[in-house]
Amino acid sequence: MPLIRKDPVGASPPSTPSSSAGDLQASSAETRWNAARRLAKDPESVAALGRALGQEDDPRVREALFTSLAYIQSPQAIATILPHIRSDDASIRAGALDALATVPDAVEKSVPTLLSDPDPDVRILICDVVRRLPGPLATQYLCDLLTVETHPNVCGAAVEALSEVGNETALPVLAQCADRFASEPFLVFSISMASKRVAGNGRPVGSQAV
Amino acid sequence: MIFTETKRYYVERRMFERMEATGAGTFASYFARLRSDANAEIEQFINALTVNETYFYREDHQLRCLTSDLLKERLKTNAQGQSIRIWSVPCSTGEEPYSIAIWLLENWPEVDNHDIEIIGSDIDTRVMEAARAGIFGKRALMRLSPELIAKYFTDLGDDRWRILDDLRGSVRFSQVNLIEPGGPGLHGKFDVIFCRNVLIYFDDASRRMAAENLFENLAPGGFLCLGHSESMSRISPLFDVCRYNDAIIYRRPLDTRNA
Repeated sequence: MPLIRKDPVGASPPSTPSSSAGDLQASSAETRWNAARRLAKDPESVAALGRALGQEDDPRVREALFTSLAYIQSPQAIATILPHIRSDDASIRAGALDALATVPDAVEKSVPTLLSDPDPDVRILICDVVRRLPGPLATQYLCDLLTVETHPNVCGAAVEALSEVGNETALPVLAQCADRFASEPFLVFSISMASKRVAGNGRPVGSQAV
Repeated sequence: MIFTETKRYYVERRMFERMEATGAGTFASYFARLRSDANAEIEQFINALTVNETYFYREDHQLRCLTSDLLKERLKTNAQGQSIRIWSVPCSTGEEPYSIAIWLLENWPEVDNHDIEIIGSDIDTRVMEAARAGIFGKRALMRLSPELIAKYFTDLGDDRWRILDDLRGSVRFSQVNLIEPGGPGLHGKFDVIFCRNVLIYFDDASRRMAAENLFENLAPGGFLCLGHSESMSRISPLFDVCRYNDAIIYRRPLDTRNA
């Protein structure tokens, strides 16, 4: 029979090698990757992971750094990831956002500040994190945003998120938003569709709804 | 692990089973036992909650893909005489790793030209004991022809069959936790990993950790088979997507260096 079995030598399986924060600066990407992964077990390594994230140019290692910081989930870890959603590099922005989206509860404390960030791109990205929060909480945050938001693209992101997780308490806010952005046909259409989903009936809201 | 509202009944049922087994009269007393891990109750609780129901030749389109495409690709990369290594994780009660073995013996013309190592792993120690025992009921064998059952199993009566000792002895089983940071990494690199229908039970952060662990355990160019309802594309950008006639498979890119 060609099937073979190689049992490990000795009674216990080999242990996973340990890594130190210094390995994050190694010249070998493989060493940095292993260090980034293993340091997820050490909440004290946040500062070192953050420093490495700022310098790392290997996408695979960067991914592991984001994963480990998100895994640690401490406020310091989340604060270390957050600045990267402003990166000029789309892959870093996406990496940071993907990591944050896996731990929405840990990000929640920062949500009000992020939803009032002067940069509309940040507000758009954070709508995707808010979408992962429990429905009633997400609805509240998104409605608060829609009430004051002046950028139609940010409203579009919030409306899209609401259409997935919102409840009927969002209907008046959606209607008000449709009225405010009556000259933006795409947004009015999106609000109409979102309202149908949220309300669970076919009645569109907003005077300009189609 | 994440259980949505639709799984409430399932979780309740398993928890009541553990409460009954431990003699806990109330949830509070059972919870206290769980928190203190009295008599290794955490492991027992995990064993009760993990989903173990499976059968031979489940999602056999991926097994077809293994012999029609994946192994050919691996042989192009592997050194002459290098073993082919396949990992089934989670392996549950052994149906999947034994299915892979039988499928290769039956369907891969090159099977006698290579050494093939199959390892099954699971977090649930109870099911791995069952996998090592290799005794299966009628339902587990429902997709196998009578000829295959006669060829690879011994009829024990009472609708129970034991897989042949040669096959039982050729598959190694070990416990792993797929979402351990920096793990599991204990078995070296694999050419093909079957990791089906488990990622759906993890929360998003654990899925990412599992994806990196799977990546780490694949040889460069190695393949990852997920369940039909699972997509790595929504979990991690580390893998390439490969579309074959029989299945969509994820692949560790060739250009990442081996450890």
